[in-house]
Amino acid sequence: MASASSTANGRSAPPAVADPPRLVGGFRTRIAILGVVVLAVFGVLLLRLWALQVLSGTHYLRAAQNNQLRTIRVQAPRGPIVDRNGRVLVTNVPGISILVWPTDLPKDGRYGELHRLAKLVRVPFAEIVADIRKHSSDPLAPVTIKESAREPEVAYLSEHKQDFRGVDVARTSLRHYPYGSLAAQVLGSVGEVTQQQLASKRGYRSGDEVGQSGIESRYDEYLRGQPGVVHLRVDSLGRTRSAPSPPTEPQPGYEIRLTLDARLQRAAEQALAYGIQTARLNGKWAADGGAIVALDPRDGSILALASNPTYNPGVLVGRHPHRQLAPLLNQKAAERANFPGVDRALAGTYPPGSTFKPVTALAAMEEHLVSPYDTLECTGRITIAKQIFKNWDPYIAAPLTMPVALARSCDTYFYQLGYRFWKLPPERKQPLQEWARRFGFGRPTGVDLGPEASGLLPTIRWRHETYTKTTDACCWQIDRLWKPGDSVQLAIGQKDLAVTPIQMARFYALIANGGQLVTPHLALDVEQAGGSVSPPIVRRPFAPAPPQRIQLDPTALSTVKLGLLEATHESFGTSNAIFGTFPVPIAGKTGTAEKHVQLPGFSGMMDQSWWCGYGPADNPTIVVCALIENGGHGGDAAAPAALRVFEQYFGVKAAGQGPVYSD
Amino acid sequence: MVEYVGTRHSRARSRRAARAAEPLARRLDWTLVAAVAGAVAYGLWAIAGITRHDVPGNPNYYLVRQGVYAAVGGLGLVGALLVDPSFYRRYWRALFGGTVGLMALVILAGAATRGSKRWIDLGFFRFQPSEFGKLLFVLALAGFLADRARRIGEPRTTLVAVGLALVPIFLVFVQPDLGTALVYGAALAAILFVAGTPWTHIAALGAGVVVFATAVLWLLPAAGVPVLKPYQVHRLTQFMNPTSDPRGATYNITQSITTVGAGGVHGRGVAGSTQTNLDYLPEHATDFAFASLAEQRGFLGAAFLLCLYLLLVWRGLRIVTLARDHFSALVAGGIVVAFLFQVFVNVGMTMGIAPITGIPLPFVSVGGSSMIANLVAMGVLLAIYARGRERR
Repeated sequence: MASASSTANGRSAPPAVADPPRLVGGFRTRIAILGVVVLAVFGVLLLRLWALQVLSGTHYLRAAQNNQLRTIRVQAPRGPIVDRNGRVLVTNVPGISILVWPTDLPKDGRYGELHRLAKLVRVPFAEIVADIRKHSSDPLAPVTIKESAREPEVAYLSEHKQDFRGVDVARTSLRHYPYGSLAAQVLGSVGEVTQQQLASKRGYRSGDEVGQSGIESRYDEYLRGQPGVVHLRVDSLGRTRSAPSPPTEPQPGYEIRLTLDARLQRAAEQALAYGIQTARLNGKWAADGGAIVALDPRDGSILALASNPTYNPGVLVGRHPHRQLAPLLNQKAAERANFPGVDRALAGTYPPGSTFKPVTALAAMEEHLVSPYDTLECTGRITIAKQIFKNWDPYIAAPLTMPVALARSCDTYFYQLGYRFWKLPPERKQPLQEWARRFGFGRPTGVDLGPEASGLLPTIRWRHETYTKTTDACCWQIDRLWKPGDSVQLAIGQKDLAVTPIQMARFYALIANGGQLVTPHLALDVEQAGGSVSPPIVRRPFAPAPPQRIQLDPTALSTVKLGLLEATHESFGTSNAIFGTFPVPIAGKTGTAEKHVQLPGFSGMMDQSWWCGYGPADNPTIVVCALIENGGHGGDAAAPAALRVFEQYFGVKAAGQGPVYSD
Repeated sequence: MVEYVGTRHSRARSRRAARAAEPLARRLDWTLVAAVAGAVAYGLWAIAGITRHDVPGNPNYYLVRQGVYAAVGGLGLVGALLVDPSFYRRYWRALFGGTVGLMALVILAGAATRGSKRWIDLGFFRFQPSEFGKLLFVLALAGFLADRARRIGEPRTTLVAVGLALVPIFLVFVQPDLGTALVYGAALAAILFVAGTPWTHIAALGAGVVVFATAVLWLLPAAGVPVLKPYQVHRLTQFMNPTSDPRGATYNITQSITTVGAGGVHGRGVAGSTQTNLDYLPEHATDFAFASLAEQRGFLGAAFLLCLYLLLVWRGLRIVTLARDHFSALVAGGIVVAFLFQVFVNVGMTMGIAPITGIPLPFVSVGGSSMIANLVAMGVLLAIYARGRERR
């Protein structure tokens, strides 16, 4: 206390401050050091400020501007797809989609928010998260969570905007199919662009809706239009703070007009279902699919392209329960539903059976192995090269000419032709296969729709290359040889030969139009959309590729045509019972092709029911080729189905059907 | 008898003070007064621009509040000016006790805000004791060292000083308010330095700090004993590598650097400062106020503020040399260095050259405690100067 009192006495120096601070050793040095530190600190701060603002100012200014500008792509409405008469097959309906901007989701509790969103829009939480993950490479683009949101969901979201940060709704247009499942595999589907598509094609951006299959994919460049762009100023929470800058308006896509006739297409699909039904009623329990192709033999334009089983393309619009989508996306489920996504007319391969006999006939006559009115014995069975080959009709025993052999579909007649082919010296090569190739077998037809199968045209070389030590360890040395049986079976379209229905239709078009190999096609032209204008404004016509002329002996061709007409009109013809009374003369051939099939609980040979032909026989304007999988004899299932297509096309009904006796 | 003498003495002192008050105006450091007034006025102008769009419909909300705080702080400054610094020296133990008590009170009763307890809610005002604690801490520590001035060369003195200082530093640190704890540390270092602590002690302390920092940031976490919260470690270290995670941990620093840089030479003005107005810059009225100022007023405006600070610190350093006694010099040194440290860490943080800590920018950042405490500290500085002049 004493020291405290003396401290208060300012006049006498208190003991504690006896040494004035200035006298403490090095005090001035220390203050000088502090001064240097002060100068250094402010020097550093000013230099850094100068570097940031003066030297790099423009760089950071741009960064700040990019911060707040958000570019939104406005998807253009896709163009419609119409049939040859302007009936709308695919169009758009307005919808509201729900989007998520991943960067705008709250940092804390984003999963909680997504959980609530998942519950609200009824999309599984895991799918939302997976979708957002998929887009993590481009965090500034919105992720579409649901494409066809319902009204109450949108209302709820707009009322609770603050609870759903980073969630947005946007107008969108959705694909709409007025005819339901009509031509589903032809039209194809639209979906978000995939990583591969992003990598391969220019002009696609993440999040774009592009054609994924069928016409939608093939003509995507015309259908998709030009997306518009809107610039928005947003704050750090993603809220819009200014009116959108003048946008670039989206350009709607063009309209694609198809060669399809919606009515004929519907008739073909119903005919296909009828054919399958008929086959089942005949006891062919495994009949469960098929295809019908109808095309104009004059230019190759496809009038109908049916495949069964089919699906409703509407299930691919927006987000639907996986159960409905599974048959299209999941291999196992697709197998259970017998692959509804596959267009059997283009991608299904089957042995053609007797419908291939016109090929053998033309080739044999062209190669002078037989002349039209030579007779060969048609018997119930025949032994060639120590092997027995059976006819479908075991009771026949008559000498037949070529037209009758075609009309009666005599197997033994064609076995003999096949053996004649086999016996040809090697320098003649393999004329039967050569002709088949010229007729379009064993290669894609070039139709403007995919995917398309090539089928298989077996040759000596193919056999040699396919059966090797590695592929066929036990018997390759035998199997690699082309044996008499191969030629004999090929003559009636059996064994290794595999064709697609559209290849068959193209070949029958060649018979019908006098030897011209057409290119089947679906697109007629590209038109300005929204056209009530008549005539429509055509942007780009698709001229059909000029048909290839195949040099054929006119006699040979007329012989085959006669055989096909007799098949449908003479009492002994295999489909006389179906077409005999039809007012328009139809010519065509049945086929019953044995194919090795794997079915649940069954593995073995099954009859594929074929019928291919054209009408009117004297001046053909339509070719129809029908196939019923596992449908039994051609006259039993495929021919009645084909008849229905003709009925629709010509607008007349057949009087009635007799009992069928066919292969 | 002691009481009696004391009473008589105190009466005599008040008479002397009355005499001294009359020429006080002539004994003021008017340059420093001008620098402080300039900084406060400039800070108010800056805040007016920065917070223009923060409260919809009331563009002057923060400006008015800051103005009120500045006025209160001005009263505090005048009050501090009238108190003889030797008063603090006599009661340094009480001041020390008060500091520790306040810090303890915050921890016991403070309102939890964003995971940290830094405030005491007084209803009309959210009182942040650690801001005022800075000044009390400097006064108490200077009192202790002034008492031990003759034994400054003994390691015991340095150790006790550090030990005393560590109590409030630790209490601030566990609030947790890492930034203010660092400010306290800087003030401690400055006071020891000015007091004449031998270089060997300073070197030993420096080594200790390095070892401690290494242990806290790296060794102990590696050994599974986290001392700092992960966000604190991030903020302390991320400024070394600001581009490592622009959307996550380093979002603040990336945006802050962008904001400063975008200002350019002349600034983007109040209306055009998108980084501030659109909330890309977090905490733009408080911790990152300097970045907003730099964006709106450009290099010219930001450099002007730095020059005001330089002038202020320079005058403060001069007061250290002019102080009447040892104690006053220590106080002045602690105040000036603490001030310098705050400016450096805050401004440096906005430009990515200092770790991110929640230190307010003196006279600019929105916040009453900081404004008032800084003005009172300036009052103490001015009082020291005035008493130093009195002696001549």
